[in-house]
Amino acid sequence: MSFLQTIIDHINYIGAVAIFVIGLHTVVTHSNLIKRIMGINIMGMAIFMFFVAIGSVTGGKPPIIDGDGGPYINPLPSVLILTGIVVVVSITVYSLSLVIRIYETYGTIDQNELLKRMQEEDES
Amino acid sequence: MIIQIPVISLVFFLLMALIVPLFKRRNFAVTTTLGLIVLLIVWVLTVVLVRDVYLNGPFTYAFGNHESFIGLELLVNLFSAGFALFMLSLIIIIYVYSTSDATEGIAEKEYGRYYILLFILLFAMFGILYTNDLFNTYVFMEILSITTVSIISIKRKKENYTASFRYVMLNEVGSLSYLFGVALLFMVTGHTNIDLVAASIQSSFDDYTANIVTALGFMLTGIGIKAAIFPFHIWLPDAHSTAPTSSSAILSGLVVKLYILIMIKMLFRLFGFDIVSAMNIHIVLMMIGAFGMIMGSVFAIGQTDVKRMLGYSSIAQVGYIVLGISLGTVLGLQAAFFHVLSHGLMKAALFLSVGAVIYHKGVRKVKDFNGMASEMPVVMTVFGLAALGMIGIPLTSGFISKLNLGLASLDANQGYLIIIIIVSGLLNALYYLPILIAAFLKSNKPGDLGLKVEPIPRLMMVPIVVLGLLIVYFGLFPNMILSWFEEIAVVLL
Repeated sequence: MSFLQTIIDHINYIGAVAIFVIGLHTVVTHSNLIKRIMGINIMGMAIFMFFVAIGSVTGGKPPIIDGDGGPYINPLPSVLILTGIVVVVSITVYSLSLVIRIYETYGTIDQNELLKRMQEEDES
Repeated sequence: MIIQIPVISLVFFLLMALIVPLFKRRNFAVTTTLGLIVLLIVWVLTVVLVRDVYLNGPFTYAFGNHESFIGLELLVNLFSAGFALFMLSLIIIIYVYSTSDATEGIAEKEYGRYYILLFILLFAMFGILYTNDLFNTYVFMEILSITTVSIISIKRKKENYTASFRYVMLNEVGSLSYLFGVALLFMVTGHTNIDLVAASIQSSFDDYTANIVTALGFMLTGIGIKAAIFPFHIWLPDAHSTAPTSSSAILSGLVVKLYILIMIKMLFRLFGFDIVSAMNIHIVLMMIGAFGMIMGSVFAIGQTDVKRMLGYSSIAQVGYIVLGISLGTVLGLQAAFFHVLSHGLMKAALFLSVGAVIYHKGVRKVKDFNGMASEMPVVMTVFGLAALGMIGIPLTSGFISKLNLGLASLDANQGYLIIIIIVSGLLNALYYLPILIAAFLKSNKPGDLGLKVEPIPRLMMVPIVVLGLLIVYFGLFPNMILSWFEEIAVVLL
């Protein structure tokens, strides 16, 4: 039972890692370029959840000091994550715009198809 | 005043990037001159900074004067300031070249955009070197990768789009796994400041071994992807060979090295070499480095496109640096640092001279280099010097770095590594010598031996010649710079 108990106690960390792996799997195995960008986003979100989970304190309140005292959650990870979200959004926008360009030039967003068309062009 | 210099240089780069669009209507020479002035001002400031650090020791700069566990901190020591000076000097040389050859493949109204990206790239490079904060490093790494990928895709060519897409995907996986490592360390230590994290890693390693080792693995993998260390190199040849010439030189000569410098910071300052060697990470790094040295050269042999070949050669050269780091001794680090410098110079010289050939003749295949030396004697001489340096012929800086690497591996009782260094050198010879033989010994037009200087712009010629001279200079007089690197290495260990 102690094994199960460990899992239940750390479900937030385990969940974050599971989502991270799902994202990585999407990036590596899918041939659709837009799905790969989604994979990057999933990976990013997993890390952000992990960060926020680190900062949480059981029974903690938002860190706005109002005189009641009591445990507050750690605000620093949440603040770091705001920066992280901005970064991942900009990367997503950039790679989506690249996908638009790729679609305009090659007429496909499938990796395998793309490779085939590039080889055909090299030969001709 | 001196304490403000790192911030002032960062602000200068950002301001310059903002100013460039304002001069859109003016003659383009105005922008490039202004950019050169900014670079020179920052260069002088950095020289002052390095001198001060050399005399008075390292110092930290806290943003907003917050204490280090709340605020951001910049750390200025010989490592950060010295490498900032080296990178800036090399960039000034490449910048002068780029003022006449940024044109290759970039539409005329986009010259300005190229310089905006270049200055933001410089901003991120300086930020990474100076910062003393793990999360801040991540943010600068992302700025760096997004500007790099924009520079690659600024040429409106088909292959650039696919190359930059692959680059952005793999680099993003790299940065996210680095961030995951930072999260795991934050979980154990509650800090992101490198000094504080390092102190609490040392004290809590026995209690949280799993966390710290996982973090080390994630961060190493992330930075390994971004530094194109051997098994993660697949994005590099496409990206570096399709970029505009001057930025290929910056990407291959400097940006890849920057990630190696982050790795050095991480292994030696953050975790400490004791933990790294207790986990046998250094053995893994040594094997990866050795494999990279051999495989990068093997891949390069079959290439027909010269710029692509140079890209594969970069992978092999990164292997040398990783090998030097993995020895974990002062001599090893010294050799690694020297190779960062000499490979930066040689790769920049190679890319710029190939760029001049592309500019003048419009050819970039190996077979088109027949008799090139009689048409472009100066450029091909510098190309030859740099190629001989890559092989490791004496009188060039490449020989000194290989010699030091060999001595360091003997010193660490790893003498068999010398065999790998020699084999890799021979493989380098296999793909560089055919170009040199074709250029100097085969001739398309027999009897045409009249020496004439090639008709390319002076501003392109001067940087190439300066790089050639520097390669020979560091090959002949390496002692001063080696003693500097020794001081840096002693502080890190």
